[in-house]
Parts: sequence; structure tokens; C-alpha cells
Amino acid sequence: MNAILRGLKATYNFFAGDAILLIAVALAFLLAFALERASMPNELVAVVFVACIVGGLVTTLARELRGRPRQR
Amino acid sequence: MTAQLWAVFIAAFLASAVEFVEAFTIVLVVGVTINWRSALAGALAATGALAVIVAIFGTALVRFVPIDALRIVVGVLLVLFGLKWLKKAILRYAGLKAMHDEEAIYEEQIAEMRARGEHHQTRVDPFGVATSFKSVLLEGLEVAFIVITFGLQANNSQGAGGAQPNGILIAALGAFCALLLVIGAGALVRAPLQRVPENALKFTVGVMLTTFGTFWGGEGLGIEWWHEDLFLLVLVAFYLAVSLALIAWLRPYAPPKVAPTPEELDNPIASEVTE
Repeated sequence: MNAILRGLKATYNFFAGDAILLIAVALAFLLAFALERASMPNELVAVVFVACIVGGLVTTLARELRGRPRQR
Repeated sequence: MTAQLWAVFIAAFLASAVEFVEAFTIVLVVGVTINWRSALAGALAATGALAVIVAIFGTALVRFVPIDALRIVVGVLLVLFGLKWLKKAILRYAGLKAMHDEEAIYEEQIAEMRARGEHHQTRVDPFGVATSFKSVLLEGLEVAFIVITFGLQANNSQGAGGAQPNGILIAALGAFCALLLVIGAGALVRAPLQRVPENALKFTVGVMLTTFGTFWGGEGLGIEWWHEDLFLLVLVAFYLAVSLALIAWLRPYAPPKVAPTPEELDNPIASEVTE
């Protein structure tokens, strides 16, 4: 059991290592897939797709600021 | 060679260089601290294992996986790798994370191994072989992944135009050039990497991987990018602009730098290792 958990953890760390990034990327692909299947305009799908990816990066960086006061 | 093949060559070269630099550091540490026989045995064993893995799974990928599914899988993984590197590089440029000083890490690992009583030996040391094997296999797998994914995408784009598909060859050539460069750089300076601007490399690769991942993943989902491959340039510029804006946003939160003591100015590496 320990070996399985270690393997899962190593796989997660290898591919992602950051839960926010993993969720954001998964959300980007799932949302874009759903919108594409619902025959939404191509531009809308593209904007939502890229916005989710950028949103993930911004969110995970914002988390790094938790508890840090502005210095200047 | 077409513009797309050049892009594949450069992307594979840069991404692979980062991986080789990391693997090479560990092999050097094992070689210097334990012995070169153990370091090279581990590295060669890992290279052999990699060759088998790439031969099996590389062929399977090319023959059996449908292109749109492959684009989605590749897109997800490239975006994840790209964002991971980009996040670290942004934090370093903003001053919220220490710059990756490879020489300090090198000296620190040597100090740790010596503290455990490990020293130069002539016989093959299992710990040295395992350490070298593990690092080369892990980083080598990442290189193999980069070469196969970049190469496959170039093949498929070229195949549609009726040209001879040689994307994997070009990507492998890019990775091989990176390997030669890293080995050459390591041979010139005993402790490697200190002169390679690692953060700049990671920042560039992060932007490129995120761009390619977004583009290919979007294609796999059915998104038709404006002006097709030319839209890659728009995506690169967009992610670059976003990253620079994020650095500017984070920089005011960086802790103020403390002026170094006279001892630290005399010996900056030693002072970093002891921290």
C-alpha cells in the first residue's frame, strides 16, 4: 500500500506537483471540450480555454503571497 | 528545413538542455564524491533503460494513438510542465524564491555525502550507481517525452503536406546538441552550470511549453486557431506579456535584500551552503 501511495505521489509530482495548476488545466480542457461539443463559437471556446490556463497560473502565484506584507 | 522544424529543433534543444543540466549535476556529484565508475555505470544503465522504453512506447505512440487524442494528452502534459517551470521562474525573477544556484547545490551535496562518511573508492558503489541511475532515468524520460511529442507533432503537420516526416529526428538532434553542449560546458568548468543562466532558460522554456501545449491541446479539442501555425507567435507574445505583468505584480512583495557581510563577500558560495 505504501509503495502504491509513493508511486502515485511520485507520478503526481512528476507531472504536476501543484494542485491548483492541475485543477486549472483539467478545467480548461474539460470546459473547452464541453463548449466545443455544444457547438459554441470557436472564438469563445479559445478565449475560455486560454483564460482558464492563465487563471490557474495567477491563482497559484497569488497563493504564494499569502501572509506576505507588501514591502514597497 | 522548414520554419516549423526549426521551431521544433530550438524548443527540443532548450527544453532538453534544462533536463540534461539537472541530471549532469547529480552524475558529477556522484563521480567526484564516490567514484566515476559508479557514476558512469548508473548513467549508462539508465541510458540503456531509456533506449528500451523509447523503442517500445515511442513506436506504440506513433502507430496506435489517434492524432486528436494524442494532441490533447500532449497538450495537457506540456501545459502542466510549462506552467510548473514558468511559476518557479516568475517567483525567482520577482524575488520571492531564491535563484537556483547550481554550484551551491553541488557543494552542499558533496558536503552532505562527506558528512555521511562517503568518500572516493575504486569499487562500484550501489548508492552511487542508484543515485546516478535514478537522476539520469528521470531527466532522460523527460527529454524522451519532449523529443517524441515535439517530433510527432511536426511529423503530423508535415505528413498532411505530403513531405517526408522527420520531426522526431530533428527533435532528437536538438536534444543531442543540448547534451553535447551541457557535457562540453561541464568539462570546461569542474562544477557545472553556474554560468548557465538557468532561470532565464526555465522562463523561456516555460513560455514555449505552455504555448505549444495550449496550441496543440486546443487543436485536439477542435479549436481552429486564427492563421493556424502563425498563431503560435501570438500565443508566445501573450504568455510572455502575462508573465512579465505577473513579475511586476509580485515584485513589491519580495523581502528586502540584506547586505552581505565582509565574510560572505570574500566567499559567497561557502556562505550560501552553510545557510
